Amino acid sequence: MIRVESQENITIISLDRADKRNAMLPGMLTQLVEAFESAAQARSIVLLGEGKTFCAGFDLRVCAADSSGETMRSLLTGLSGVVRAMRSCTGPIVLGVHGAAVAGGCALLGGADVVVANRDAKLGYPVVKIGVSPAVSSPFMLASITPGRVRSRLLDTELITAERAVSIGLVHELVDQPEGVRRRAIEIASQLAAKPGIGCSATKQWLNELVSDQTQRAQEGLDASLSLTGGEEERVMLGALWA
Amino acid sequence: MTHTQPVLLETDGPIATLTINRPEARNAMSIEILEAMHEAIDSMRDSSAHVLVITGAGKAFCAGMDLKAVLIELSGDASIGAQLLTSLARLTLKIRTLDQVTVASVNGAAIGGGCGLTCVCDITVSHADAKLGFPEVDLGICPAVIAPWVLRKLGAGVARKAMLMGGVMSGREAYDIGLVDQLADDRNGLTALTHEVATRLATGGPKALSATKSLLNQLDGSLDEATLLQGAALSARVLATPEAQSALASRMKR
Repeated sequence: MIRVESQENITIISLDRADKRNAMLPGMLTQLVEAFESAAQARSIVLLGEGKTFCAGFDLRVCAADSSGETMRSLLTGLSGVVRAMRSCTGPIVLGVHGAAVAGGCALLGGADVVVANRDAKLGYPVVKIGVSPAVSSPFMLASITPGRVRSRLLDTELITAERAVSIGLVHELVDQPEGVRRRAIEIASQLAAKPGIGCSATKQWLNELVSDQTQRAQEGLDASLSLTGGEEERVMLGALWA
Repeated sequence: MTHTQPVLLETDGPIATLTINRPEARNAMSIEILEAMHEAIDSMRDSSAHVLVITGAGKAFCAGMDLKAVLIELSGDASIGAQLLTSLARLTLKIRTLDQVTVASVNGAAIGGGCGLTCVCDITVSHADAKLGFPEVDLGICPAVIAPWVLRKLGAGVARKAMLMGGVMSGREAYDIGLVDQLADDRNGLTALTHEVATRLATGGPKALSATKSLLNQLDGSLDEATLLQGAALSARVLATPEAQSALASRMKR
């Protein structure tokens, strides 16, 4: 469900479930954690999605089919693990969003150092409308954009364009066409990997430390999201998607 | 204006102006410059001014750390890097905790530590063609002392990109990401804009201004000296590595 390529001293990890808009399954998230752990020493890493869109978030059909909430719990736990693994990588991570990064897909931005997206890409966390709490992503969002903006992004189900996302600091660079995202993301990663000495990794590690007040609360965020799983609200709202 | 004094401090009514005065070295921060800045900032404690403008003499605002001084091959002294960085760390806190509202008037290049200095100030004014940025990583070094200030100014996500990608940006781009608060079209317009902003700030009640600053400093963690000193130690460690020294040496030879 993912693909890993090495190109000189950078590692390119791609979500590879294009027929499902790269919707996340528990196994995909396990593979992602392993891929980031294996690439932890790479000079820089790129995260991309295959097909028409970066990532549509959790595979909700699979979630809805499991009324015990177990699938949802695995996905939430896996997602938190992926973002934590991303933060632990020595080299900077460039994430390329083409098309859309929705819910769990948008949460991956919380582990990235540089985000490039096509101008019209759609981003957001519309998960409260299926009775799921995006609390799992809040520690990482708080370590990236301002608290006021985190509130509106996580509570409001609206999707925003990448152009708007740049103005709130969620995305750093725009390209005009979705097809241009991959090339530009790899180009940025190559520039990062070419920097001399340990400056880049020391700087990333120091920045992680400076925001650790937030990111050390990752478990609390995850627990808050987990506490709702398998509940009535989630079951009804998820089921309503196919009603 | 003589070039013999490393820092000039002039007061005109409620507005004081500190000019870093080493134009022949693009106002790079040597031990001498930093000591003079410490002294000038200390003297502000007794000043009647309500606003302090910080700017650079000549074409540059401040080119950052004096690279000649921290290149061990040239200076023969491996401890200068740590001295400079510790002095810079203490200076940033001193500027941040002044009663006066501080305005960085970025007349030209504000690079590395020089750009960090703008983030310590309360407000930054510049012009579209100025050059700002954090190219430390391009030289294999780590902007650890200024990182906490850049984080507070830009927000962590934008700061992360700016400091990890390195390079420099125009005053216009710096304005777009919030590194610059007010932008003049060109260098000529900056003098008037700086005066306008400083004069407007000076209309505020001095006690109201300093009380507000003091509260903001407490809320945003600005008083955390330990982290700044830890940053200085980290930055000095990276600077002393053979990799960083050789990257710096090859830059100097260009």
